[in-house]
Amino acid sequence: MNLLDKLQILADSAKYDVSCSSSGSNRSNRPGGIGNASLPGICHSWSDDGRCISLLKLLFTNVCIYDCKYCVNRSSNDIRRASFTPDELCELTIQFYRRNYIEGLFLSSAVVKSPDYTMELMIRTLKKLRHEYRFNGYIHIKSIPGADMRLVYEAGLLADRMSINIELPSAAGLKLLAPQKEPVAILKPMDFIRERIEESRELVLYKGSQSFVPAGQTTQLIVGATRDSDLKILHLSEHLYSRYQLKRVYYSAYVPVNEDENLPSVHTGPPLLREHRIYQADWLLRFYGFKAHELLDEGHPNFDAHLDPKCDWALRHLDQFPVEINKAPLEMLMRVPGIGHRMASRIVRARRVGPLTFEDLKRMRVVLKRARYFITCNGRYYGGVDLDAGLLYPLLADKADKKVMAGQISLFG
Amino acid sequence: MIYVTDGSFEGILTAVFEAYSNKEEPDTITLGSDYQLSLGTEIREIATDAEKSDRVWRGIQSRISEKCLEDLYRAYLSEHHQAGLYIYRYVRLGLKLGRKVEGYLQHPDVQAIHDLSRRVASEVHLFLGLLRFRRLKNGIFYACYEPDSNITQLIAGHFAARLSDQPWIIHDKKRDVLALYNGVEVVFATGLPPIAEEACDEEYEALWKQYFKAIAIESRRNPKLQRSFMPARYWKNLAEKQL
Repeated sequence: MNLLDKLQILADSAKYDVSCSSSGSNRSNRPGGIGNASLPGICHSWSDDGRCISLLKLLFTNVCIYDCKYCVNRSSNDIRRASFTPDELCELTIQFYRRNYIEGLFLSSAVVKSPDYTMELMIRTLKKLRHEYRFNGYIHIKSIPGADMRLVYEAGLLADRMSINIELPSAAGLKLLAPQKEPVAILKPMDFIRERIEESRELVLYKGSQSFVPAGQTTQLIVGATRDSDLKILHLSEHLYSRYQLKRVYYSAYVPVNEDENLPSVHTGPPLLREHRIYQADWLLRFYGFKAHELLDEGHPNFDAHLDPKCDWALRHLDQFPVEINKAPLEMLMRVPGIGHRMASRIVRARRVGPLTFEDLKRMRVVLKRARYFITCNGRYYGGVDLDAGLLYPLLADKADKKVMAGQISLFG
Repeated sequence: MIYVTDGSFEGILTAVFEAYSNKEEPDTITLGSDYQLSLGTEIREIATDAEKSDRVWRGIQSRISEKCLEDLYRAYLSEHHQAGLYIYRYVRLGLKLGRKVEGYLQHPDVQAIHDLSRRVASEVHLFLGLLRFRRLKNGIFYACYEPDSNITQLIAGHFAARLSDQPWIIHDKKRDVLALYNGVEVVFATGLPPIAEEACDEEYEALWKQYFKAIAIESRRNPKLQRSFMPARYWKNLAEKQL
């Protein structure tokens, strides 16, 4: 099989992994070496689905001993199988990097023979890339569930970022769709990686100490393969951020690739709007000081398809509005629908120089479409309607979303 | 009153100096001699003067901030036809208000510089990713591009640090500005003889195109989203966007 075919097969098999970020590391180049890492990350292209291409995202192999029902590479699927050699992968990475196609390598793999065997193949590749090819660019490696901790540690010394995918948001879902995987095989290495990262941050003050996963660890949850609610998913994410110190939780709208009685039919599209809402809520957890229980609860376990989660929250907390643009603290400005954290801090800086009028906000390009109902400027309200959830809902509801909705509602028929 | 400069950043700073010393308020500060003249407007030719521009430079540094200088320089690189005037007005306001001018975004003069500086900074970031090198027959890696702003000198350092073991050329075809790296240092040039662009690189370009195709999820196809991140005007220099 030639390299072009292998690339086609093993990129195709890797594409359902959404993470492609190259941020969080600032590894510098060394004399005679090639590459460095840029702290904010760099996108190099955007594929036809609009997702960013930053890293060369490939599987080492798609030959798998597991038969997870949601996965395109499950052992019982009749698809073309291929494997790279470490040298092929190194050569591809370096040659793509020299042409500025990519920011680095994201190496994942199906499980061939055993988790340890697979992990060893991946480590051999990274060692070659770092030491023989003197590559100092970004490397993200997927840790194989069930691999020995010694191997996880070895991989972490070579990579910038590591991830272990949880995939299914509940143990019940895992049992139903991936019976060969144990929850403990996912959470144990996650905890192990967190401990080693903390250790390495403390040791970094000493000369000659090696850095371990400097860009932190991430994970991925599949949305819509099981019946888990948004509430369940968001609570899990919150727990992962606080307990395991994850940098990111990625969400992947389930693309039905296999026919199975326990899965949505292959004739349904991926629940893209739901994925979008969960991402918006994830942002609110990480940057806006929201807690999962503020956004959703047992009586309201899923996001409204027509409202972004912040609007949804604001309509249920109208007693906290309107807020005065010239007085409200930064944390409260960030809770106003339509005002992001960057705009909120611009407002705070600007009002130090002089009081802001409604016209000033327009000039500063604050998006007032939603915000106008939740603010006052120097005591004046510009919303034009009473602060009443029933009146505001139709003004705030996203009408364009209805089209996307149509494809999503029929998920479980 | 129109101030006509030679189009250099120093020229604009000299114009700022002249406006102060002549106690007049220019209506326009041109970037070069290509400008529109309407009947009856007065013209003042500004001779770029290192000492005068230095004094303005140092005045900005000490009375506003270092970051302000960077913002003004980026705004200048946008080549917006009013960039000279915006810079003058911003400096005038900044010398009065000091550092806090940077946050004074409700003021149109501050907003103007802020917008131009951001436009340039985001194009710089975009091209750190979108620039494409091809290996020429002589072993040099060559990248051509057509950015909206004059950003070649802002991106060259990044590639010198990253691709330090290969000789490369970055060529802004729109302005005929080149950055050349020989493995040791970067030199900027303009007006060089045309470069033979034949690459001996088809193999890796084909692999890259194959990868680009394979990585997209068909059921998530979203050309509008793709174009919003990667505007179509940049496509002609992107290998993956050529059939």
